[in-house]
Amino acid sequence: MIVRKLCVRQSRQLLALNRQAPAYTRFLSTETPIDTAVQTPPKESSTPAQNPLHEVVQASRDIAQLNPRQQWGELEKRRHTFNNLGSSVQESYDPEDLIRNPPKPSDITLEMLLAAGTHLGHSTSRWNPQNSRYIFGIREGVHIISLDVTAAYLRRAAKVVEEVAARGGIILFAGTRKGQKRAVVRAAELAKGYHIFERWIPGSLTNGQQILGHCETKVVNAMDQELPEFKADLADRPSVKPDLVVVLNPLENVVLLHECGLNNVPTIGIIDTDADPTRVTYPIPANDDTLKGTSLIAGILGRAGEAGQKRRLEMAAEGKTAYEPITARQLRLDPLTGSAPPGSDLDKAEQA
Amino acid sequence: MARPTPNGLTQAFQALRLHSSTTSRPVTRCLARQTRTYATEVEGQQPSALATQEQAPAAPEIDFTNFSRRPARIVPASPSYFSGSPRFIDHVLKLESLQAKYASLPTVAAGDAPRMAWFKLAQFRDYVGEPVPMKKYKSLVKILQRLNRIQPEMVPGDVKRTLESFLRPGNPYAVQHVQRTVDENGRARAKGKRKESTAVVQLVEGEGEVIVNGKSLVEAFQRVHDRESALWALRCTQRLDKYNAWITVRGGGVTGQAEAITLAIGRALLMHEPALKPVLRKAGVITVDARRVERKKPGHVKARKMPTWVKR
Repeated sequence: MIVRKLCVRQSRQLLALNRQAPAYTRFLSTETPIDTAVQTPPKESSTPAQNPLHEVVQASRDIAQLNPRQQWGELEKRRHTFNNLGSSVQESYDPEDLIRNPPKPSDITLEMLLAAGTHLGHSTSRWNPQNSRYIFGIREGVHIISLDVTAAYLRRAAKVVEEVAARGGIILFAGTRKGQKRAVVRAAELAKGYHIFERWIPGSLTNGQQILGHCETKVVNAMDQELPEFKADLADRPSVKPDLVVVLNPLENVVLLHECGLNNVPTIGIIDTDADPTRVTYPIPANDDTLKGTSLIAGILGRAGEAGQKRRLEMAAEGKTAYEPITARQLRLDPLTGSAPPGSDLDKAEQA
Repeated sequence: MARPTPNGLTQAFQALRLHSSTTSRPVTRCLARQTRTYATEVEGQQPSALATQEQAPAAPEIDFTNFSRRPARIVPASPSYFSGSPRFIDHVLKLESLQAKYASLPTVAAGDAPRMAWFKLAQFRDYVGEPVPMKKYKSLVKILQRLNRIQPEMVPGDVKRTLESFLRPGNPYAVQHVQRTVDENGRARAKGKRKESTAVVQLVEGEGEVIVNGKSLVEAFQRVHDRESALWALRCTQRLDKYNAWITVRGGGVTGQAEAITLAIGRALLMHEPALKPVLRKAGVITVDARRVERKKPGHVKARKMPTWVKR
């Protein structure tokens, strides 16, 4: 009451207007609100309304007496019940989603790339002028990468990955920065490729026999089933070389890219504004410092590889291959001399 | 060897077909001969099937058995081939996926988890056949320990099997230490070592008499400090007048002998009264002092002392 009086006394404008201000006074009032005319009729139910969580809370009271398995079950049940309560969030960003269910190359949108922060380049002083054609402009001293260029180059790279996969190529995904591990492994899993998330051992391509010589290889048929009868022929064979290398951080993997260049292995790389785009065959101009961006790009390329592998297996089911398969004769030949090993069945057949 | 020309091949095929058409073929095999029939129709009324077969011969069947046995590619056995240590990385990835899968299961404190003897580094290197560095193996063991901490009643089968594959052969924690007790004459016999000395103590209930190598305690140890430390286990538990000790001590000096006796008496007292363990532990009686004299090295005057520097 005091407040209301004070309001009326002090408020010159209200007096000047000479009208009641019910809206304002109602908020200032300390009294209980007057009943409105419309009243909701009480529900005609015989049982009183019960809290839906009543049972859960009741059941979880004596949780301490249960054994650990039941205790855990109770807690899970409770969590399950309570998690459904409250408002439901319609659209939210789940970091796991990029790993679990990455988008397809056909789903690429500029909004998606923007949300992943792929447009942010480096400080203008650190730029490599060779990247000027990918740069949209400068904002707050930072180069902004043109997203439509990123999308176009990303689609091209996805196509390359898909076609290489469809032709039975060996695709290597490399991302050696901290936190890139899961994205790299997932992309390799999708594309049935290979992964590197720790240091690239220099010489793995140029000196492969020394470094990868002890690592196991296998002979597979067109349906990717292992053929154990050729196991003996794999000894003394040169190490396997990838047919395509995808690098998420080309700045740190200069040696890998150099070796790929020496061995005529095409490469795909995420090129930030400070990277050298000529080091890779198919650059993707994008920010390589954001994990969200790199895992998005790795996921898209992984999906592309998945589509290519699917195509290859479908062709194989029809009895066709899009590549020249290795023959049993080539396998039986001595890898060092290129001729049939003396005393073998192949040698005898050729002699005859 | 004369290689068959394509022309020759077609001729050969034609010859084959001529031959096959003349001989009686199994009728059921041929797809082209099967035309649509109704249940009301009588068999034998159809037009000659042989003519249709000549017009549209069936495509040759793909020999799937042969195709699937034909080699196509040489590929690495593991997706981590290019890392140089594929087996190790595959193990780590498998363990990490298990850890992520069962992250929500309840765990027990590290001390309550069952003791597991994982591979030693050298054994693990033999197991995977790759030169794994210590640091990386430690990170793998860390994941193993985390999986081992899952509530023992709720460990999933795959976790159990995986963990068992990393155990070294012969479980060292299965060996139960035999608890030594007082013999039938009420004697507790225990040994203790310190520096170069070894003490054997026979402890019986009595009035507090102590004999060291056939001499009394005062004769054996001139210094009060040594006498105190020799009987420290009995003194700190106020049992000086409740036990008789018959002690043989060999080797080393006076301090070493006295402290070897401390350890031996402490152990013998534990056989009589195991409940005293926390008290004795706190008094520092059952902790073995494993320090020994460091060996002398060549080029040094003693273990570490360097000869004095002399000009010229």
